[in-house]
Amino acid sequence: MASPGGQGGAGALSTRGGSGVRRMKWTLELSLGNTRSRDRQSGQGDVVYPIGYSEKPVPDTSIQETDKNLVEKRCWDVALGPLKQIPMNLFIMYMSGNTISIFPIMMVCMMAWRPIQALMSMSATFKLLESSSQQWLQGLVYLIGNLLGAALAIYKCQSMGLLPTHSSDWLAFIEPPQRMEIMGGGMVL
Amino acid sequence: MGKLILLLLNLIVLYNIVAAVFEDQVGKFDWRQQYVGKVRFSHFDTHMQSSKKVLLATESNVFAAINTRTGDLFWRHVDKTGPEGNIDAVLHHGQDAVLVVGNGRVLRSWDISVGGLNWEIVLDSGSFRSACLVGQQGTVKHAAVLKKSVISLHYLSNGHQKWVENLPESETVNYQAVHSDGNGQVYALGVVSHSHIAVVAYSAEDGEIIKQVSVEAPWLSNIPASCAVVGQGMLTCVDSTTMSIYTLDLYQQLQMIQIPLQSLGLEVDPGFQPHLVSHQPHPARQPLSEFLLQLGPDHHLLLQLNNGQIVILRDFKPALLVSFATTGEKTVAAVMSPKNKTACGINLFSAESGRRLLDTTLIFTVDPNAGKPERLHVQAFLKKDDSVGYRVMVQSEDHALTFIQQPGRVMWTREEALSDVVTMEMVDLPLTGTQAELEGEFGKKAAIQDGLMSMVLKRLSSQLIMLQTWVAHLWKLFYDARKPRSQVKNDVSIENLSRDEFNLQKMMVMVTSSGKLFGIDSKTGSILWKHYLDNIPSNAAFNLMVQRTTAHFPHPPQCTLLIKDKDSGLAALHVFNPIFGRKSQVAPPALSQPILQSLLLPLMDQDYAKVLLLVDDQYKVSAFPSTKNVLQQLQETAASIFFYLVDSSQGRLSGYRLRTDLSTEQVWEVVIPVEVQNIVSVKGKRPNEHVHSQGRVMGDRSVLYKYLNPSLLAVVTESTDLHQERSFIGILLIDGVTGRIIHEAVQRKARGPVHVVHSENWVVYEYWSTKSRRNEFSVIELYEGMELYNSTVFSSLDRPHAPQVLQQSYIFPSSISTMEATLTEKGITSRHLLIGLPSGGILSLPKMFLDPRRPEIVSEQSREENLIPYAPELIIRTEWFINYNQTVSRVRGIYTAPSGLESTCLVVAYGLDIYQTRVYPSKQFDVLKDDYDYMLISSVLFALFFATMISKRLAEVKLLNRAWR
Repeated sequence: MASPGGQGGAGALSTRGGSGVRRMKWTLELSLGNTRSRDRQSGQGDVVYPIGYSEKPVPDTSIQETDKNLVEKRCWDVALGPLKQIPMNLFIMYMSGNTISIFPIMMVCMMAWRPIQALMSMSATFKLLESSSQQWLQGLVYLIGNLLGAALAIYKCQSMGLLPTHSSDWLAFIEPPQRMEIMGGGMVL
Repeated sequence: MGKLILLLLNLIVLYNIVAAVFEDQVGKFDWRQQYVGKVRFSHFDTHMQSSKKVLLATESNVFAAINTRTGDLFWRHVDKTGPEGNIDAVLHHGQDAVLVVGNGRVLRSWDISVGGLNWEIVLDSGSFRSACLVGQQGTVKHAAVLKKSVISLHYLSNGHQKWVENLPESETVNYQAVHSDGNGQVYALGVVSHSHIAVVAYSAEDGEIIKQVSVEAPWLSNIPASCAVVGQGMLTCVDSTTMSIYTLDLYQQLQMIQIPLQSLGLEVDPGFQPHLVSHQPHPARQPLSEFLLQLGPDHHLLLQLNNGQIVILRDFKPALLVSFATTGEKTVAAVMSPKNKTACGINLFSAESGRRLLDTTLIFTVDPNAGKPERLHVQAFLKKDDSVGYRVMVQSEDHALTFIQQPGRVMWTREEALSDVVTMEMVDLPLTGTQAELEGEFGKKAAIQDGLMSMVLKRLSSQLIMLQTWVAHLWKLFYDARKPRSQVKNDVSIENLSRDEFNLQKMMVMVTSSGKLFGIDSKTGSILWKHYLDNIPSNAAFNLMVQRTTAHFPHPPQCTLLIKDKDSGLAALHVFNPIFGRKSQVAPPALSQPILQSLLLPLMDQDYAKVLLLVDDQYKVSAFPSTKNVLQQLQETAASIFFYLVDSSQGRLSGYRLRTDLSTEQVWEVVIPVEVQNIVSVKGKRPNEHVHSQGRVMGDRSVLYKYLNPSLLAVVTESTDLHQERSFIGILLIDGVTGRIIHEAVQRKARGPVHVVHSENWVVYEYWSTKSRRNEFSVIELYEGMELYNSTVFSSLDRPHAPQVLQQSYIFPSSISTMEATLTEKGITSRHLLIGLPSGGILSLPKMFLDPRRPEIVSEQSREENLIPYAPELIIRTEWFINYNQTVSRVRGIYTAPSGLESTCLVVAYGLDIYQTRVYPSKQFDVLKDDYDYMLISSVLFALFFATMISKRLAEVKLLNRAWR
């Protein structure tokens, strides 16, 4: 479960990046057919907009100093996300106990699966952090956070006894020893 | 509080292992057969014309009434085993049957209509000699009992003693018979061997001696064997040395009259002890003046004693068996004479005239796989036209009873040999014809002979056959489903025998002490084949081995029975096919030397028969089969073949090793001084036992490895001193290969009989504690420790570390008759102990209750391990009885066999009765329950399937509509 902050940040960035290609100061629409088609699209009848009027508000794209900081902040949010979850996870771990039943197992599965998922989509995350100056540091923090999460999950598995770390876990695979001598006999009939 | 938690824990633990039979499962996979044993006395209930009872008193101390129409038991009373419950005499009169039991210890009267006890009295001490009913003026009110020195008269109504008198000169005279014929007198007949006969006449009223005479009879030694009272109180005897018949008038007692047999033109077969049979139709009347005389094995005569003269009425030769029977006023003699090899004819003759009665021929077919007829029990009745009709019960050498009606219809047969099963094995049934066809198709030989094309054709044809049988099976299922369940008969015959899909149905091969072998279908209990081995000595030891199972088609399965005469030590082998009971073509070797033991090796010859080694008294070994291939294999593996012999008379345990030339050398010897203790039993492990888990998981999840020595022996000894302060029993765990004593335990103040079960890494034994006067169980478990010494091979010669030994004891609230452990295919299922109780119950006790690791103080770890806290008492829970109310009398042995299902173990308990069932020690984890709701599940499945189909279609329509909008 990603934090809302992180997700929001990513969304904002993508919007800005995506619309960058078609960014224009102003635009003049002269072709009639085009207008018509737009009219039809908007479904507004025969109303003709004045020249220079755009239906969409043109975003203010002037880069400001505070924006830069915001990006940094956002990126740090993303990077620290996994670390922030650890106390929460610890609490859940404590609450769920070590008994083996459906809810603790689901808990553990979630805990283990999320860091792994995050680590697998590491490249996507790096792309998110591209715009940040501290990209590598943030990536490292993100990695560490996820690794910690995974370690925590493994620790939980261990304390629940789900890891085959004991000799008893391999007992079922021991083949019965082959007997070397053949013996028989009994009471004298 | 702690106790409460303990109790709760116990409840939780116990809750899981409760397993009992549901009401509707009764008789579904279990059956019981009740037997009575070898018949000693039989009486047909004649006081009512329509009665259909025959009373049987047997050598197994059983008194029973059997339905003559069906052969089923009406009721049965099982007395103590041994001489204490021995039935000495049966006196049957009207509704009552009076039994003298336990060498004259007890007199009992049974009501034969319901089998209830009328009364029972304890008689004075003294060994029993004879008993008879005493009647006066046509009514019978008393029974006379003759003992060594005392004669007593008892009321039939309540058993009270009317009078008791000492017999005169009982130190010198051996009183042997008592006679009464309704004239108010009771005659006690005694003999002084080779000197004279003593006759004492008592008044039936008050026991006063009326007459006392002794008559010279120097040839006489045994009255019951050679004498009988005939006619008007004429004591008639036959003697083989003087070749004469002697008569003595008991009323006058003048002297013995000798009638030489030669004067009658008769001759006794050489070496035969002639025998006299008289008949007294009613105890209050005189015996008939006609009697039967047997002069040879197949020579009988019907004679008449007429005023001191003997008249030959009829000469029966050849006649195997003769017997008198009375109905109404008519007495007949039934005579069985051989017709040809396979049949005997039985005819009725009038006793008065010796004339043959018309239309009374009855054909008795002698089964070639059964013994010869031994005794004839005749039930005569009057037909509507006042002629005599009859039915016979033929008792044969193999203890079988066959009840036959005219003209030879067998109404029922009871195989009473099964009341004394000595040993048994369960053999897998063969595959069905089609399965066998498939097996044969891809056999080795076929592939070499045929080309590709013919193989394809073969495959197609076999597939076609399979399809055909499948369709037939479906049709049968459909056909049967319409009939009510009770009407669906499952006929079992040898022809349609085949293995079921879970291998739950097997062939039980049972060896009985009479020498008769049986093949019984384990599912229904019907006898599929029987084979009688004649000339089996009475004290023979049997050893049954399965040499080849059914798995090696087309080779037939093969069982070998080793029969050893304990007196001469000589042994013989009987090789047979366990499915059909036929003697195998394989000729067993002639064994000239006495055989000590046999040993079935896991080696196989080229025909997949396991090799049987026989050890003779020179400690030389012979192999069967002994082909070149086998001998070569033996030479190769001789160094690793060991065997042990236990001679309990000398207290000697010795181990031997096979040399390549099939001689042996002694490797070890342990001598237990016979003056102090003697070896009672030696138990090894069962060769077909599998142990799935090599260790036990501890609470901290480490492993305690089991000490699984396949050649470990548990030797049980009992002290010769039986004083309760000094008696003890000993348990010795010995490695059979090296003779190394692994463990030794001595239970002081304990006494046998000791019952032992040895399996996996544990030994459980039960004994009587003389100190606390109770039955106790003790369990020994052996562990290798936290590490395995060698996990790939087990060699007794390379075991430097001694195992850890744990032991714990428990109190058991009942004595036990026998004990065995369950056995499953792979050994994954937990083990139970099957305990036969003297009460007739078979208890399935989970092994987890007999676990030396049961802690006295509960800890976190022991709870983790699911160990039950130690409690000294083992409780008997009624739901642990696997045979619910189907009591199995006198359980002598329990046989367990694995089935094809890992959860299921087949159990056969045998003794006087035979009981077969299945047990599920860990419940049926691999089978759906009987009441599994197939309908519900399939209907839900179908409903869901259709729901998905419909909703998918609806969703498509909806999407399309939205796209159009």
